[in-house]
Amino acid sequence: MSAQNQFDSIYDTNYPNVFRICLGYFGGNESIAKEVAQDVFVKVWGNLSNFRNESSISTWIYRITVNTCLSNIKIRKKQHVSVEKHLGHLKSEFENQTHETEAQIKALYRCIDKLNRDNKSLILLELQGLPQKEIAYIMGMAHGTVRTRLHRIKNELTKCVKT
Amino acid sequence: MRKNMSDFETLKSSWNDQSAPNTPENGSQQIVKKAEYIKNKQKLTNLILSITLIVLVVFFFYITAYNNARAALGLGIMISVLAIRIVLELVSIKNLKSLKFDIDAITFKSRIRNYYKNRVWTHYVGTPLIIFAYCFGFVLLLPLFEKNLSNGFYLYIKISAVFVLIGLLTLIAVQVKKELSILKAIQN
Repeated sequence: MSAQNQFDSIYDTNYPNVFRICLGYFGGNESIAKEVAQDVFVKVWGNLSNFRNESSISTWIYRITVNTCLSNIKIRKKQHVSVEKHLGHLKSEFENQTHETEAQIKALYRCIDKLNRDNKSLILLELQGLPQKEIAYIMGMAHGTVRTRLHRIKNELTKCVKT
Repeated sequence: MRKNMSDFETLKSSWNDQSAPNTPENGSQQIVKKAEYIKNKQKLTNLILSITLIVLVVFFFYITAYNNARAALGLGIMISVLAIRIVLELVSIKNLKSLKFDIDAITFKSRIRNYYKNRVWTHYVGTPLIIFAYCFGFVLLLPLFEKNLSNGFYLYIKISAVFVLIGLLTLIAVQVKKELSILKAIQN
């Protein structure tokens, strides 16, 4: 398989997950999420030859995603606009669902946006359904630390969404 | 507490019920093109900075500044500090480029924090010293300008130097403020 074909396949498989993490990280701002997701894949393409199979390719991409989001503080500061303004895309997604669910998701984005950067990364990886062991590997934390912190963040988020 | 956890599972299920985002058509080809563009842009930046450095050195010899002690000292200081600034910038670009993004998030955060700390140190200590030395070199050249240039042109050089200095200081202040706010955001 040529490098381009391999990359095409990696891109198609992983783009939705990368985009969803970026969207959560940047408060539901779709344009920033697209820009940062593109930045993530530029790095994936540039470093593909360095991938050593020490983890699955998706875990490797999650590491790049979390770090790219962290390093893109500049973009966020440049385009800081309220979360609510950027959640227009949810309207179409939730046309067939209840207003309550839509409100819940909006509140979830808003509450995630209030977390510090590490906690944001932790909860977004959890929401994506990654096992805690994998989250620990991506974050560089002990498994026990991830478990404790996630427990606390989940409580915090649940309370925040309700208010 | 148990209720909060079950509430969280409801939130998680709503999160996963969001429709899958559309993958951009030909997105991967666009990524490859963008990667090429970034690479070429970096090469161009390095080239421009290197050419600037060469031009400064050639200029020094072209006007045979070494024949006059004062001119040699003044111009030598100005060229040297500019050269130091260019090298610092090239090193900074190289350091940023060599930051690995596929390491764990905690290590990455510490490395990027160090990168910005170095940048801020450069702005707070290195840059003021460079500007001071550059101005000193310029002041050394002023009597030569006065002796060899017309009154009008000499006045123009003095006034334009003040404006250039103000512009430069403003630019540096903006950059320091920006990089300090990034550092603060990373530490939070």
